[in-house]
Amino acid sequence: MTKHLEWLKRWPRFGIMTGSLGSLLVVGLLDYLTGIEVSVTAFYLVPVSLSTWFGGRQAGMFMACASAVVWLGADVLGRASLGHPFVSIWNAAMLGLEFVAVAYLLGALKDRNQHLEQTVALRTEELRRSLVELQQTQQQLIEAAKLESVGRLAAGIAHEVKNPLMTLSLGADYFLSRQTENADESVLAQDMKEAVRRASNIVNQLLDYSRPRPLQSTREDINQVIETALNLVRPQLKTQDVTVVRELQDGLPTVMLDRARIEQVLVNLFLNAIQAMPEGGTLTVRSSATALSTNGSDAARVDVEIEDTGDGIARENLNRIFDPFFTTKPIGRGTGLGLAIARTIIEIHGGTINLANRAEGGVKATLGFNVGPETEA
Amino acid sequence: MRAKRILVVDDEPGVTRNLKLALEYGGGYDVQVENCSGNALVVARHFRPDLILLDVMMPGLDGGDVAARLQADSLLRDTPVVFLTAILTTAETAGHELMKGGYPFLAKPVDLEELKKSIEEHIRR
Repeated sequence: MTKHLEWLKRWPRFGIMTGSLGSLLVVGLLDYLTGIEVSVTAFYLVPVSLSTWFGGRQAGMFMACASAVVWLGADVLGRASLGHPFVSIWNAAMLGLEFVAVAYLLGALKDRNQHLEQTVALRTEELRRSLVELQQTQQQLIEAAKLESVGRLAAGIAHEVKNPLMTLSLGADYFLSRQTENADESVLAQDMKEAVRRASNIVNQLLDYSRPRPLQSTREDINQVIETALNLVRPQLKTQDVTVVRELQDGLPTVMLDRARIEQVLVNLFLNAIQAMPEGGTLTVRSSATALSTNGSDAARVDVEIEDTGDGIARENLNRIFDPFFTTKPIGRGTGLGLAIARTIIEIHGGTINLANRAEGGVKATLGFNVGPETEA
Repeated sequence: MRAKRILVVDDEPGVTRNLKLALEYGGGYDVQVENCSGNALVVARHFRPDLILLDVMMPGLDGGDVAARLQADSLLRDTPVVFLTAILTTAETAGHELMKGGYPFLAKPVDLEELKKSIEEHIRR
């Protein structure tokens, strides 16, 4: 019943009172027209109950008194009074008291109901928050366990792979230093060096992911970091015919960050964007600041957005893009560690990283950095 | 002028063999190798190297243990040591003098030119 009349709660009190008074007048008129033979007294409970439930206890009391007055009016006008006129007044007063009692009890019930609803809502919110915290803690534990096992694996792989790589590398160096007249030998030796470099790079990325180095943070202008990273991918931009659009906001607050590592993240995101546009396209880089009004401090957040005009990420892959070793690139083009490392780096900066498909097509990567106070170390 | 002597201590025979070849052929050094870290001190006392290239992760005595014994030896305590390690990345070793008494570290697989540069930087004159 309450559920079906829920919409009435949204009415302003004036509307409720007007409606209740209207229904009271209708009941009064009905009472007058039906005369003494037919009793409609119970109908007076309709405006009393409505106004109490939706308008509050005071409104209910008022309507109880008004109902008694209307009943008296109907009784007097209908000449139904028997004997002394005081009888009608007495009956109206008795009826009024009953209505007041109904309004009072209904009001108390309503208050109790409201209190219960609030308690349930509060407990539900507490439970929901506990559940979210539990899920986050579980996720952190899983991540930590994953990182620990990847760390052990990485150290083992590094030892077992880099020693043979060193043998190969030195062997190639030896062949290169022989200054042979056979050009093919030199090319082969160079190819071996390049293969060693690539393999070593994968192991280094694995080590980087499993064992993030401590940050060497300095206060930096994020726009300058973006420019440096863009410079580093200039050859790829040119080769792939990708146009860069800069929408960098001037006068951004500086951010405490490890410049080399954020450059690494940006280069990774730029390369991903470029590789997503093999036929060319537009790479948009945007920076902006948002003021955060927390505890009256002048905290702010600096956001960097990187958009491409490629095909976007397949829906089934969206949840896996930050997983280590997950890649959609052809064999030999990606290790599947780039985004995993990027997320680790951003997280140890206390920032956020998010990748989503754009409605217009392509991917938007968003990095968020909190701007600490100037005195922050 | 005698060639500078370098002792390479690494448990991987492939690494030591290639290091010896590369450093003798491409750097003009006199190189002695040792694959058993437990023998490193004896060999070093005998060979009297101008620099020791020391692997970190080895069975038995690891690189840190060997470096500590070299430090404790009156004949060898001034011999420069350059660590070679597979479990650090190039970015981690670049420009940092790490742990164990501030010895320099090089990340495997090390490039020959980089290795020669590091040797020339740290070798006893």
